[in-house]
Amino acid sequence: MPAFLAAYDFLLVSMVLAAVLALSLYVPLMAGQLSLASPGFYALGGYIAAITSTRIFPTASGLYPVSLVILEMVVAALASAVLGLLVGVPALRLRGIFLALATIAFVEILRVVSLNLDVTGGAIGIFGVPQPFASQIQYMWLGLPLLGLCMLFVARLERSRTGRALVALREDELAADAMGVNPTRYKVLAFTVSAMIAGVVGALSAHFINTWNSRQGTFDTGVSLMAFVLIGGSRTFVGPVVGGLVLTALPEALRGVADVSGLPAWLAQFLRDGRLIIFGVMIALGTVFFPHGLITPGVLQRRGRRRADRS
Amino acid sequence: MTASLLFQQVLNGLAIGSVYAIFALGYTLIFSILRIINFTHGAIFTLGAYATYALTGASFGFNGLLANAALPLHLPFVLALIGGSLFAAVCGVAVERLAFRPLRARGADPLLTLVSSLGVAVALVNVIQYLFGAEAYSYPADPFGHLPSAINFGFGAQPILVRTVQVIIFAVSMVVLAVLTVLMNATRTGKALRAVAEDTVTASLLGIDTDRLILLTFVISGFLGGVSGTLVGLSVGIAGPYFGIAFGLKGLAVIVLGGLGDIPGAVVGGLVIGLVESFVPSQYIAYREAVPFALLFVVLLLRPQGLLGRTQVQKV
Amino acid sequence: MSVPAARVANGATPAADVLGVDALTCRFGGVIAVSEVSFGVRPGEVFGLIGPNGAGKTTLFNLVTGLTTPTGGRLRYQGRDITGLPPHRIAALGIARTFQNVRLFGELSALQNVMIARHVRTTSGLVSGVLGLPSARAEERVTRQRAMALLELVGLADRPDEQGRNFSYGDQRRLEIARALALEPQLLLLDEPAAGMNSGEKRGLSELIRDVRARLALTILLIEHHVPLVMDLCDRIAVLNFGQLIALGPPAAVQKNAAVIEAYLGDEA
Repeated sequence: MPAFLAAYDFLLVSMVLAAVLALSLYVPLMAGQLSLASPGFYALGGYIAAITSTRIFPTASGLYPVSLVILEMVVAALASAVLGLLVGVPALRLRGIFLALATIAFVEILRVVSLNLDVTGGAIGIFGVPQPFASQIQYMWLGLPLLGLCMLFVARLERSRTGRALVALREDELAADAMGVNPTRYKVLAFTVSAMIAGVVGALSAHFINTWNSRQGTFDTGVSLMAFVLIGGSRTFVGPVVGGLVLTALPEALRGVADVSGLPAWLAQFLRDGRLIIFGVMIALGTVFFPHGLITPGVLQRRGRRRADRS
Repeated sequence: MTASLLFQQVLNGLAIGSVYAIFALGYTLIFSILRIINFTHGAIFTLGAYATYALTGASFGFNGLLANAALPLHLPFVLALIGGSLFAAVCGVAVERLAFRPLRARGADPLLTLVSSLGVAVALVNVIQYLFGAEAYSYPADPFGHLPSAINFGFGAQPILVRTVQVIIFAVSMVVLAVLTVLMNATRTGKALRAVAEDTVTASLLGIDTDRLILLTFVISGFLGGVSGTLVGLSVGIAGPYFGIAFGLKGLAVIVLGGLGDIPGAVVGGLVIGLVESFVPSQYIAYREAVPFALLFVVLLLRPQGLLGRTQVQKV
Repeated sequence: MSVPAARVANGATPAADVLGVDALTCRFGGVIAVSEVSFGVRPGEVFGLIGPNGAGKTTLFNLVTGLTTPTGGRLRYQGRDITGLPPHRIAALGIARTFQNVRLFGELSALQNVMIARHVRTTSGLVSGVLGLPSARAEERVTRQRAMALLELVGLADRPDEQGRNFSYGDQRRLEIARALALEPQLLLLDEPAAGMNSGEKRGLSELIRDVRARLALTILLIEHHVPLVMDLCDRIAVLNFGQLIALGPPAAVQKNAAVIEAYLGDEA
């Protein structure tokens, strides 16, 4: 077991972080809002952590205190919430395609700004972000609880009065409005929660990846997140989590297959580098064949019933 | 600021802007007929540029599966341009048949089509990267033979130069605008296209072959995409497969600014953004990249129908 | 129930009216959907709104519930000016409605559809809901009970967990009524509730409306094409044609009104 963990430590932690980030796309989607803004807040969170740990509290030697990492995560959540409100309140008056475009624009603007500010390290970014742990697998001490908390939060959200309001908005915004649900309020709420989740993941990721620059949290990230939610499942919180875990592991698994001897060179190369090709095709296929993703509430209900039948 | 400097900047702005305009024309045409945002336009744009490059007989670089490959023909540039654009048109049609038609058949939300087009675009661009590597390419020099490399718009002592290729791009965008406007407004096909845009079902009930017209739309749009990709590649070089995605993103800003689906709007939007970019003061030159997106964001908030579009009245 | 006072010919609004519509106008570009319409709805009455298709009846409903903003005129509810308020505020004040083309939340269950409309009568927010605080849980219990009671009232209590979209058309209409009632309104707007129903269902609907009005002390505003239903249920009827109010009064009087006959049958009579 230890050898497995050591060999795949980077991958396992990446999977967990991707699953949490996928949840940040899922929450606005519960209200029918396709927001591709999460990468922007992810980038913001990462910069907060990177700047804090390299400029504000630099450690001379040894490990960076975990408590400070947690502090950075909290600050990232708060900063993302503020920025989320500032951007969300005007932007969420937009519907459908227009909202998606506005969030794409937001991420691009942040990217260009981060490329040019001194504090973010310009084009080079910030490197040498201190580590709170001696080995990468130990990031699970923060990563797993984060995933667990977020899953619990979203699961309970789904069942609460607020969650019901979000789903009603998704089903029919006008009718929900007429039944007393304030659309702007709840859309902004979902957007802000989503921003906070993305910000927290960003803060942790900056330490995990050890460097942070304008290439983290871009439009490409948004496309990957869309793949996680679209394929994994967009109607239940389990979907994005499974999507994030599996689709992050998939390229590694394919790389493993590529290393099997006897494969033609072109196939091996494709399996190694074709991650985005595969994601792209999966997205296109998903919209046609699995518009709600693979894991739907129906699937979960049937599994539950089968378990009950067996017992 | 002297008059000639101002004029130079205006010309630069128009040059940049017409690059955006020519890309946006194909982009907005699809929206005007089908009410979908076809993000693969950026990928088709890239495919056209690479196809033209291949048809000129040049060889591809060191990375990628087809490293050092080259076609056994050396077409003159203009023929390669046409060939490459036809190839782009075919790819556009393939995308429509495989990815969009099933969605249209089940009446899917335009948002779903946008999502699908994002996936296809990313996949296509990465296929290009897989095959040809991520290097930059440029077309052979002097593609138009005897034309000078720059044209002087200045009078008197101060030369105001614009590169010939930029003038050509401007001219082509104006010609395409004129042709599309005539097509849409003065021909029977144009009328049929507008009927399809209004209501596909009713149009087909009236005996209009909607399938063929949608095909035509994608052929025209794909061809325009290929032409614009090649001309842009000629003007600024092909920076790698991802330059299509960057254009795809900026193109969104152009067509929203001009008014989604509005054909003259695509040109107006492109020129406006080009001019704004050109007038960014030199100390902020690094932020120039953000100009289209800042404009996109502002337009979406203040006037989502764009400069030339009309407000949509929502029927409850 | 109907007040035998002098018929107010122009429909001006005494202060005791539940709903006051005052010179209400709505234009969409060049089309005038509702033109200078004025009338008042008295407490407890069943007020019918009829007229040929395209007369502006549903637009009027949309104006009253805030889904469309009027271009002129004012709306008063229980004496308070509600012109221009957003739909969720108007719902909170106590005006509920059903839609001409049923607009249920298809993915949600019948029970959840009804529970949604209790949103404005409850207050637990995101945090208390997620944390599962006792106050939130108690509120959920009450919401669930009230919703079940309403499902029983409309006769759909046997399938509370069935998805809204799986119900038959007639049942969906009844579910929509239950949902509207969950808002605890004082004014209920029903937009063609009998459309698509057979005569047996129509009778059931008629009884339901009467029952609901009596039990919950509601005022009801009803758009309906089925003439016997309208004649039977309504205390007064307003007739719209091309966005204008052409007649207002008790059913018998309206039925004989020349302008109304002309509107429906053309000018042969």
